[in-house]
Amino acid sequence: MMKINIKMLAVGVVALPFLTKAQEQKDTLNTNDINEVVVTGTLTERYMATLPVPTQLITGESIRKSGLSRLSEVIQEQTGLITVPDYGGGEGIQIQGMDAAYVMILVDGEPLIGRTAGTLDLSRISVNNIDRIEVVKGASSSLYGSEALAGVVNIITKDPEHNGKPSFSSGFKLGSFNTHDASVNFEYGKNKIAFGIYGNYYDSDGYNLSENKFTQTVEPFRNFTITPKVKIRFSDKLNLTAKTRFYNSAQDYKAQVSDENYQGKSKVNEVNYSLLLNHQPSERLKFTYNLFATHFKANEFLNDVQESLFEESDYNQWFFRPEVRSHYKVGKKNEITAGVGVNSENLDRSMFESKAKLNSEYVFGQFEWFIKDKWNVLAGFRYDHHNQYKSQISPKLAVNYRWTDNYSMKASIGYGYKAPDLRQLYLDFTNSTIGYTVLGYNIAEAKLQELKNQGQILNSYNFDFSEPLKPESSFNINLGGYYKKGKWFLNYNFFYNDITNLIDNKVIAQKTNGQNVFSYFNIHKIFTYGAELSASYRVNSHLNFSAGYQYLVAKDKSVIASLRDGEVFARDPETQNSFKLKPSDYFGLLNRSRHTANFKVNYTWPSIGTSVSARVFYRSKYGQLDSNNNDIIDDFDRFVNGYFLTNLAITKDFQHGISFQVGANNLFNYTDKANISTLPGIQVFGKVMYQF
Amino acid sequence: MNKQFLMKLGVILPVLLLFWSCSRDSNNDGSGEPNLEAVTYKNLHAPQLGGRGEPASGDFTKFNFSNNTIVTGDDWDIAFRGTTIIVNGGAEIGLEDEPERTGDAAVSIVNNTLDGVKNLPADSTFKQDAADTYAIPTGSGNSWYSYNMENHMITPVAGKIFVVRTHDGKYAKFEIISYYQDAPDPADLDPLTTPTEYYTFRYVYQPNGGGF
Repeated sequence: MMKINIKMLAVGVVALPFLTKAQEQKDTLNTNDINEVVVTGTLTERYMATLPVPTQLITGESIRKSGLSRLSEVIQEQTGLITVPDYGGGEGIQIQGMDAAYVMILVDGEPLIGRTAGTLDLSRISVNNIDRIEVVKGASSSLYGSEALAGVVNIITKDPEHNGKPSFSSGFKLGSFNTHDASVNFEYGKNKIAFGIYGNYYDSDGYNLSENKFTQTVEPFRNFTITPKVKIRFSDKLNLTAKTRFYNSAQDYKAQVSDENYQGKSKVNEVNYSLLLNHQPSERLKFTYNLFATHFKANEFLNDVQESLFEESDYNQWFFRPEVRSHYKVGKKNEITAGVGVNSENLDRSMFESKAKLNSEYVFGQFEWFIKDKWNVLAGFRYDHHNQYKSQISPKLAVNYRWTDNYSMKASIGYGYKAPDLRQLYLDFTNSTIGYTVLGYNIAEAKLQELKNQGQILNSYNFDFSEPLKPESSFNINLGGYYKKGKWFLNYNFFYNDITNLIDNKVIAQKTNGQNVFSYFNIHKIFTYGAELSASYRVNSHLNFSAGYQYLVAKDKSVIASLRDGEVFARDPETQNSFKLKPSDYFGLLNRSRHTANFKVNYTWPSIGTSVSARVFYRSKYGQLDSNNNDIIDDFDRFVNGYFLTNLAITKDFQHGISFQVGANNLFNYTDKANISTLPGIQVFGKVMYQF
Repeated sequence: MNKQFLMKLGVILPVLLLFWSCSRDSNNDGSGEPNLEAVTYKNLHAPQLGGRGEPASGDFTKFNFSNNTIVTGDDWDIAFRGTTIIVNGGAEIGLEDEPERTGDAAVSIVNNTLDGVKNLPADSTFKQDAADTYAIPTGSGNSWYSYNMENHMITPVAGKIFVVRTHDGKYAKFEIISYYQDAPDPADLDPLTTPTEYYTFRYVYQPNGGGF
């Protein structure tokens, strides 16, 4: 058994390949990750081989070889990670059948904010300075708190080294729809100080899948990201990382209301500030002090044809988090982690009556211990105390057993939750064309009374708002492991999630204009279960294959109960008569495919410095709309057809650090214009890269 | 012996035939009356003025189940205007251009298929219109329809059956099939251009009391 100590781990982390040169082909075909070091699952540096929580690693090298430039494109290619479009045209991640709103996205362990409609737009994140992406699946609230219900995606960015050698990399990509993507990274470090600056500019004309001549499916946009980073090594025991990230995006915004054309812009401005101090007073004890602040600002406006303002909305969110973590090593590998922190958030937005504040304090602890040679157990918990809703305790227990060097099994049980977001608590919105109103839970009672006083309410139902809205919570079980034999490597995971108190909207009153008033309540109980399998086969040092598959069932418990009670009907499309449905007619939740699969091939010719990466993805049919309007997705609804997508990239490395890449995403030009807004057909690209 | 057998047969056979014909009477009330048939009424036009911000106005389109026609007099059972349906019983709700209640109609809403409703629901479940109260509630999700905000389609909720006590004390059960002109297959209609406010509904009228 390998002896692991802090120094070896530190070396291991630094040596992770993030800027490869043409000669280092051996890293590029590493088909299994069990010897990689990851941090997200436990907040400590751990080899994946014995990590008891299901974690997936996406290396920077695989991202580079795929030629993809946005995070959403990278995520889409991974087993068990499905990108789904969300409100406002962005894309979110679905993990283990749970919606994008329940996946926490971190950059270097710090959260991304700006969920204007509950989800995060992944295309905000450029991939030029990504070192690797770690995805932990299943409830992770024992470390990360709210939102880590389905899992955590941690994007770990490049760090400058202190080796006295300046390092530079740049890339310029030209693609379909007049897309430009330019990146410049520069790093230099010597002795005690290292700094890096990473910049990316991205713009595109967007595309149109509709017949509309005025509006497009995706309007033209441009964005840029700049991240300066400084690392100071005061001593062997003390180091500091300071980082700022600036993000700015602008997109055309167009709408047609009652045959009138409106045009304006949609802008986002985001700044993250991060200060991280690592202090290691002894070999066993380590402290991390982290101060993180982020400011997300979005503004959207529409002008009419005379250029006067028609509509404007603002979103202004601040988030602060100071956190202290300590790690104490007991024996050779056992580790106790404890941490304490504060989350302070405030949000000022157009559809809120006044500024909303959310404050919470938290404390977490984790103990991982290695028993004999084969077992390791992880136990953790986190306590979150909030000012708006009931405090949460999120426990987790995980165990890993290594039968042999080639075969391991792991199991974990955990609790996850998602706090009601500020929108569900404070929204005050009336749709100007149709006339319905949505009120956040905390202001609903008072606002409803106001509407009554104005004579706008016909009648109201008696809803009790005295108890605070509860967080959505889940119970998650994972059972999995890996199997290694010769050139084969297999990874498997069975999962089950039981989610209660899912928040959704319900009618609370009827207005005199015939429309309704809605508010948010804890309504649904859903469950998801399935299995994930991934395999890779390394033919030789030039060629490897990998494949992945996920089987998923996601259903609502009360729908199943209604079906059993004979309370759900559908309309026969031919006779137009109603008929009763059975539980076996229930397909499941929206946007969930039963089967998703991927197959990838990587081939290199080191003699001519060329490599080819080809990937095929399959997604089986899914329900996007309750087409027969009985509030459930049943076998009689119309589904979006299952489809295949093929991506191809060919990279050629020349001398002097120059590389050239050409490729196509969606090679066979698959589109489903009526149903899938994120597939514009084939996109070709050419990229030039230079680095030293 | 043969003659006796034939005589017995002569008695048994007609009795068997009588029972056989009785069991074919699907009314099950032994009255031997003809089957109650479902009738489909197509394209009842119920235009509405106003709506969306202003109060709705215009005449209601009145319907009589017994005659299977639109009527203009006092012998209406239910009346339609836009997505609103009122009954000829109770008191005025307080809407503009609302017709006077001239009968004792009431409606009970049941979750079932049209053919599945055999017995009359309990008396206490029958509601009439009253001041500020609709016997058939309005608003998407509450009423006979649900409005899909994404594709703007109005779909009659499947499995919602309205059992009506008519203005003159008879009973009918009806199910709304479509709100669009000519009741097209939902896959073929364009919610933005296909004309609405055309009710197609299927009903069974029971003039003899009891169930269906």
